[in-house]
Amino acid sequence: MSVFALSHGTVALGGRTILSDVSVTVERGEFVAVLGANGSGKTTLVRTLVGLVPLAAGSLTVFDQPVQRFRERWRLGYVPQRLAVGGGVPATVGEVVASGRTPRVRRWRGLTREDKHAVMHALEDVGMLDRVRDPVATLSGGQQQRVLIARALAGEPEVLVLDEPTAGVDVDSQELLAGALSHLSHAGGSVVLVAHELGPLAALIQRAVVLEHGRVRSDGPPPDPEGPHAAEGHVHQHAHPADPPRAKGFGLP
Amino acid sequence: MSILELDFMQRALVAAVLVGLAAPAIGTFLVQRRLSLMGDGIGHIALTGVALGFLLGTAPVATAVVVASLGAIAIELVRERGAASGDVALALLFYGGIAGGVLLIGLSDGGSNATLVSYLFGSLSSVSRGDLVVIVLLSVAVLAVVGLFARELFAVGLDEEVARVAGLRVRFLNLLVAVAAAVTVTVAMRVVGLLLVSALMVVPVATAQQLTRSFRSTLLTAAGLGAAASVGGLVLAFYVDVAPGAATVVLALGGFLVAALLGAGRRVVPSR
Repeated sequence: MSVFALSHGTVALGGRTILSDVSVTVERGEFVAVLGANGSGKTTLVRTLVGLVPLAAGSLTVFDQPVQRFRERWRLGYVPQRLAVGGGVPATVGEVVASGRTPRVRRWRGLTREDKHAVMHALEDVGMLDRVRDPVATLSGGQQQRVLIARALAGEPEVLVLDEPTAGVDVDSQELLAGALSHLSHAGGSVVLVAHELGPLAALIQRAVVLEHGRVRSDGPPPDPEGPHAAEGHVHQHAHPADPPRAKGFGLP
Repeated sequence: MSILELDFMQRALVAAVLVGLAAPAIGTFLVQRRLSLMGDGIGHIALTGVALGFLLGTAPVATAVVVASLGAIAIELVRERGAASGDVALALLFYGGIAGGVLLIGLSDGGSNATLVSYLFGSLSSVSRGDLVVIVLLSVAVLAVVGLFARELFAVGLDEEVARVAGLRVRFLNLLVAVAAAVTVTVAMRVVGLLLVSALMVVPVATAQQLTRSFRSTLLTAAGLGAAASVGGLVLAFYVDVAPGAATVVLALGGFLVAALLGAGRRVVPSR
């Protein structure tokens, strides 16, 4: 049972080949990092996996269904690389996170108690519950990134795909992120993330796919963790106890 | 004689309230998407629709709704492509709209440029019973779209790609906003005129933002301010004898100034 299975995938954008003959499989419950230099195709790879970029050649299945026919999109959570959240109108942290729940909300019913619980839980997971009524525009970059991750978590996805979640994020936020992702992983969820530097996430990673010039250079155990933040115990001392309703949301086998 | 005893004023007031509510409600989603000027563009295109109505001898509002909606869909499709030339494509569409309107009205028997002026600047006091029915139905339809789809429209406005990955029908929702904006423009053209339509969609939203923290309260406050400005403009026009559309927009802008000062004051005081 795989979450993503990309086989001999080729992606071309604007006439330029970005990925060539890339085969990557992510199994359920795996925590995979996509590493590589700038321009190696990391972002394009994860955008391809979530269905935002079409394949020029090769095949992709998502939860064992061909990507074109995959309809259970609430099972995917996606956190794009982003510097600022919002738009031309103010929005609170609570509103942005609740928007991640939208695909699960019935039009005529509004937010149920279950929906509200999922939103609150996601906020708690990234340590932003006390900021629920604050406008997102007033938050720091790291806090905004946590809000974006909470938005994805609010949909209770089975896999979370993150593009550079730690870029430009302060150390405290990075550790909170690591805690939230570790909960998700312990509850049986899968994580695929693009990263430049792993920081506190290093201890969580089970496998690293390294890209170079649009090809897979290596796929296997992660590079040795470095530095004091990478130690296993450090991440876990920030962890809250796993919550049963969240675990249920992941549809454990 | 009281303002409310006049038939035409009663109709004008109903139209003003509904348009005043609907324009900023859909406008909030345009501002969120940073498309504040979209209403202007649609207004230009609607002028061709009005003139086409005169040329064909049908109701100008009906042809304006159709032409403005098609124009709004075209704008949205150009925007979706995200092409660098999108900006120029929009400009072409806008100028085509105005030129087409003036050209077509010249070809028609019934209308002249003077006819177009009443659509450019509004003619709220000439709203007939039939006009009112159309205005009520269309404004209620726009408010219903906002009410039913607000959650999805908000999510798409925040981040289209995240919404697409989550399975929301992004293109449908964007076209829905575009068509709702086009319908609002054509309904509001009787109230404030095509040239000032966008002001009623955008200015109350800008005003509300000075005082609010959430998207929801911005939308609700903007709708209230819009209704207040259009009713206020109508009453002012009745007593002072000025054009109601212009009076509405000037009132709305006055509200913005006051709110901006209040907002600035509020931001300065707590930091001391």
